Amino acid sequence: MSRVTRREFLGQAIAASGSMAMAQQNTQQNTSSDIPRRPLGKTGLQASIIGMGGYHLGSADDLSTAKRMVDEAIDAGVNFFDNAWDYHQGRSEEWLGAALKGKRDKVILMTKVCTHGRTKDVGMKMLEESLRRLQTDHLDVWQIHEVIYYNDPDLIFAPNGVAEALDQAKREGKVRFVGFTGHKDPQIHLRMLRHGFAFDTVQMPLNAFDASFRSFEQNVLPEANRLGMAVFGMKSLGGSGEMVRKGGIKVEDGLRYAMSLPVSLTISGMDSPEVLHQNLSIARGFKPLNDQEMHAIRDRCRFEASDGRYELFKTTKKYDSDEGRKMHDFPPVAQLPA
Amino acid sequence: MQPANGGIPRRSFGRTSLQISALGFGGHHLGDAEDQPTATRLVHEAIDGGINFFDNCWEYHRGKTEDWMGSALRGKRNQVFLMTKVCTHGRDKDLALRMLEQSLNRLQTDHLDLWQIHGVSFENDADLFIRPNGAAEALEQAKKQGKVRFVGFTGHKDPAVHLKMLNTGFHFDAVQMPLNPFDGSFFSFQQQVVPEAQRRGMAVLGMKPLCGAGDPVKKGVLTPEEALRYAMSVPGVTVTITGMDNPDVLRQNLRIAQNFAPMQREEMKALENRVRSVAADGRFELYKVSLKYDNPEARLAHEFPLDMQQKEVKEMMRSTENTGHPYPQLEKAK
Repeated sequence: MSRVTRREFLGQAIAASGSMAMAQQNTQQNTSSDIPRRPLGKTGLQASIIGMGGYHLGSADDLSTAKRMVDEAIDAGVNFFDNAWDYHQGRSEEWLGAALKGKRDKVILMTKVCTHGRTKDVGMKMLEESLRRLQTDHLDVWQIHEVIYYNDPDLIFAPNGVAEALDQAKREGKVRFVGFTGHKDPQIHLRMLRHGFAFDTVQMPLNAFDASFRSFEQNVLPEANRLGMAVFGMKSLGGSGEMVRKGGIKVEDGLRYAMSLPVSLTISGMDSPEVLHQNLSIARGFKPLNDQEMHAIRDRCRFEASDGRYELFKTTKKYDSDEGRKMHDFPPVAQLPA
Repeated sequence: MQPANGGIPRRSFGRTSLQISALGFGGHHLGDAEDQPTATRLVHEAIDGGINFFDNCWEYHRGKTEDWMGSALRGKRNQVFLMTKVCTHGRDKDLALRMLEQSLNRLQTDHLDLWQIHGVSFENDADLFIRPNGAAEALEQAKKQGKVRFVGFTGHKDPAVHLKMLNTGFHFDAVQMPLNPFDGSFFSFQQQVVPEAQRRGMAVLGMKPLCGAGDPVKKGVLTPEEALRYAMSVPGVTVTITGMDNPDVLRQNLRIAQNFAPMQREEMKALENRVRSVAADGRFELYKVSLKYDNPEARLAHEFPLDMQQKEVKEMMRSTENTGHPYPQLEKAK
């Protein structure tokens, strides 16, 4: 008989119930003004329900602004920091590395590898570059970045593919946990999961519009929950606030919707102290929305969700990086903006 | 499938007895011809070469291709099967009927042989089409009034979107879709939509045999002859519509079509297998995985971003002459 730990059993039972209960049950909070923390899947780590997105950090005015933002986020209780090898040609990693000097141990640090079909060796070389830029000897989470092309799972799991780099880096102690991310199609995520590789984490777009359009919430989240993986939500407001600017959803509602799902955390891009402050104030003392409130938000977004106009990362090339396009022989952003 | 005029095979349009050429003349590229006299010569040479199927669309080059085709067909209207498309993209019946009048006017005719809903790309398009006061009612009315003989729809995005349209229960006579060796194994219209259309006795119009702009030919992945022969050999296809913007391309295509011998199943499979690894991420089928081939009307109606590099957008910007007037400038409904 297979041994099922209590946590796994609970996780399965809760995922099966399909309610928001898991978010509520697992959320730890000391006082009403703290940013709540939740377990990061089966890793034993506890992460703040909001994580700082790495891409937007590289869009801050300058290094000193970025440093101040990282400091302030940590002081407020944010302990999850996202990044990727190709964000701003390395600037995001460099700035985050500089900002985390002396604070590395206080945070859960993630970056991503951008092989896009290339071999394990390329992956390992990128890892060394990421570690150097981030000024650390190990990552807490290392994810395969932008799994968005329909043949990516085949390339990743081909002999000598990047899946082998994940294994090796873990064995060598350079990374503690591994996962993958993508913003395109739930079917691609499911194909990745079907390979049976021991991913600890998975990242996906989760927002009020996703709920009723090519839905990661419907199709991937329950499966990841069932597997006990740590789930990182992203694109809670559309990637660059499209859902707020045009879609008529309030920032609070967008973020609260995303954070109320059965996820470990929501990664949000913050490119200025103002955005950081706004997000911190939403995350502080956060109480998950109830089913009825979730339903109401979904309903309000349903019509405009139905063609993907505010989820351009699913329906266009707009959010697909040049690094991946190069490897898949697609025109660069300048020639094919969307 | 008897070789008729010029040796290009002709095939029955759906379950009708109308015979149309296995190669069709794409409307969009006609607007890329050097000038109007060249366009006229292209149309005439195509007819003389045995092509009798002419494609167009309300929004191609802001109406220029309908204008040019209309004048080129003067005196020859009855020799051809004329199709154009309406660009409602979810908008209502009245807009569709106003577009129809403009198309008829530009094409200098009192009726179309086929009128199709253009660019069915978005996952809610089928719902918007069939809703009360939607474009479905315009198709019905135009048919009843004798302004169009047959109706259909077209799109290049996702077989699932086509199937949604078929499942609205609306009676379509024709359906248009990308058919090429890449489509054979990637979000395949050939596998998913053609059999459904055949079952319903619809005419199947293939397009993008060279993937829209000939990229796989330019990159040496296959020859124009392989691509065209494959597309024309898809079981169930009525006509393969392809763009020809200069006499060289027209003559090349006429030669291929006039000497056409269908590919056997094994030959088609071999070609699919040869391109399979580069078909698998959609790099040659950007119409499926990006907005590149989605025209401004579709994007505007669905509030998607415009691409300032796109021909139609440049033409649209030029035509507004910075007056701030929105595009398009259609007369208000009376």
